[in-house]
Amino acid sequence: MVLNPQQEEFRERVALRQEGGVTAGAPVRQTSLWKDAWHRYRANKAALIAAALFIVLLLYVTLAPILSPYDPYAVDFAQAYLPISWSHPLGTDQYGRDLFTRVALGGRVSIGIGFAATIAIMGIGIVYGSVSGFLGGRVDNALMRFLDALYGLPYLPFAIIVTQLFQTVNFWVMVIALTIASWFTAARVVRGQIMSLKENDYVRAAHAVGARWYRVLGRHLLPNTLGVLIVFVFLELPGVILGEAFLSFIGLGINPPQASWGSLAQDGRDVYLSHPSMILIPSIAIAWLILCAFFIADGLRDALDPRTRET
Amino acid sequence: MTKFVIRRLLWTIPVLLLVILFTFLMMRQIKGNPFRKSERAVPAAIQANLDRKFHLKDPWYEQYANYVKGVFSADLGPSLVLRNQSVNDIVRSHFPISLELGFYAFLFAIVVGIPLGMISALRANKPTDYLAMLVANAGFAVPSFLVATLLIYYFAVKWDVGVPTSGWRTWQSKILPSIALGFFPMAYFARLVRGTMLETLQQDYVRTARAKGLRWRRVVGLHVLRNSLIPVVTAAGPLLGAVITGSFIIETIFAIPGIGRYYVSSVSARDYSVTMGLTILYAVIVIIGNLVVDILYGFLDPRTREART
Repeated sequence: MVLNPQQEEFRERVALRQEGGVTAGAPVRQTSLWKDAWHRYRANKAALIAAALFIVLLLYVTLAPILSPYDPYAVDFAQAYLPISWSHPLGTDQYGRDLFTRVALGGRVSIGIGFAATIAIMGIGIVYGSVSGFLGGRVDNALMRFLDALYGLPYLPFAIIVTQLFQTVNFWVMVIALTIASWFTAARVVRGQIMSLKENDYVRAAHAVGARWYRVLGRHLLPNTLGVLIVFVFLELPGVILGEAFLSFIGLGINPPQASWGSLAQDGRDVYLSHPSMILIPSIAIAWLILCAFFIADGLRDALDPRTRET
Repeated sequence: MTKFVIRRLLWTIPVLLLVILFTFLMMRQIKGNPFRKSERAVPAAIQANLDRKFHLKDPWYEQYANYVKGVFSADLGPSLVLRNQSVNDIVRSHFPISLELGFYAFLFAIVVGIPLGMISALRANKPTDYLAMLVANAGFAVPSFLVATLLIYYFAVKWDVGVPTSGWRTWQSKILPSIALGFFPMAYFARLVRGTMLETLQQDYVRTARAKGLRWRRVVGLHVLRNSLIPVVTAAGPLLGAVITGSFIIETIFAIPGIGRYYVSSVSARDYSVTMGLTILYAVIVIIGNLVVDILYGFLDPRTREART
């Protein structure tokens, strides 16, 4: 029996209504889910503070370079190594450039790389993981064996090799390298989610009333993995940010005068004995971001996925 | 169980072959000439000879087959840049140093991290717990290059307690790099142990043991600790791999002649054979780490044997 799309949707709605699920076209439930999540998130004080500090950091990196009167690339040795003051809140570096402006610029690059790579990782993970988990059987087996092999690749060395495939290392090369070196876990997480959701009655019901595969996947499976994926974004972010910092620090990533938190730390490395603040400041920025991401992930896990609550 | 171990062991062979293939194909795509020392181009005749000597113009599958043969007979080929040195020479003289550094770092992580997590769980939500978790969270978030720099700044320079700032000869010189490298896994273990121990402490068998009058110390040592350490074992394999393969930051800062530094310099010098050989060595470490964990896990938790083959 071939059903047209309207019939298909109708049957599905009937099936859903019969099992006591969502009534057709009722968005009220949807909002209450997020309201509910926000309510649980708000209860976690550490996560709330972390979210606030995260927003402060984002505002700083977006606004500081715009509002700053200093040129972040202009070299002026007369202004070198100025201490912390009102006109230079974080002092100046060995070339006389204002660090408050440069750390913000570096933050744009580091956070940008972090989010871009994390989103790419999620994208690949969703496609790979849902194909594997949804089809199951032989395809799943083959895809997972392939993933096992990739797990044998060492993270940072592998990322370094990928960067070398390009003439110069810039923002997007870093994103590509860090993505290729670390998408495996995301694929596994998505696959695991799909596998466990697949067995639910509402998915079987959708199949039974003749819903097409893309409908089952897009309507029933993927939306239910959303919570886990949002948490995963914040769990993945620290690894990517640190990866960028490490590669840039040893000179194989973003290179000076281009600022990133890693390359700023590299600037500070040569003078840490006389001016320790130059390596300290970008490192604190990194730690700030990682701790925020960490507590936000913690709060989001409680808020979005109460069943897998950790003690 | 034997069947599981054998199957798991055999499975590492195709994994290794695939890893070598990835590395191999990627290295072929990298532009740049390792023989070009200065701005001048290498004369065509010399380039042709070099290509012949290192089999650079053979079809890729032949090169791959040769390379795989080499890897399985423990020969990683010659270095393209360092004269008269083979990759094996580099591994032989510098890998033990990286291994030693990784070992001490891991030792530090276990000896400090596990007790820290235990104390934290037993004194949950008390000042001791907060202090321990502050240390652990700091270790989690602060990049290792800062940990290393701070250690040098305070212990070697400011207070000058008799530890050198660089090198890898005397035992004093090994302390700071090991701590710097072990700081992250230490924090990881502390958090992990705290989490699992808090969970175990709420189990019924712990209450039963308490109820029948077993001393608290014995309950913790016998029941709680044992069950809390399973996740630590699982995490230890990949983490050990990450510590050894991620040591080049620490090796660069402390000027330690381990393979991490050679890795970085081989990448900049376009010394493909060294980069490739060391990548494969790193991969072998990671694969062995995963293998040991899977097998140990099979022993510790029989339920996973079927699922993990």
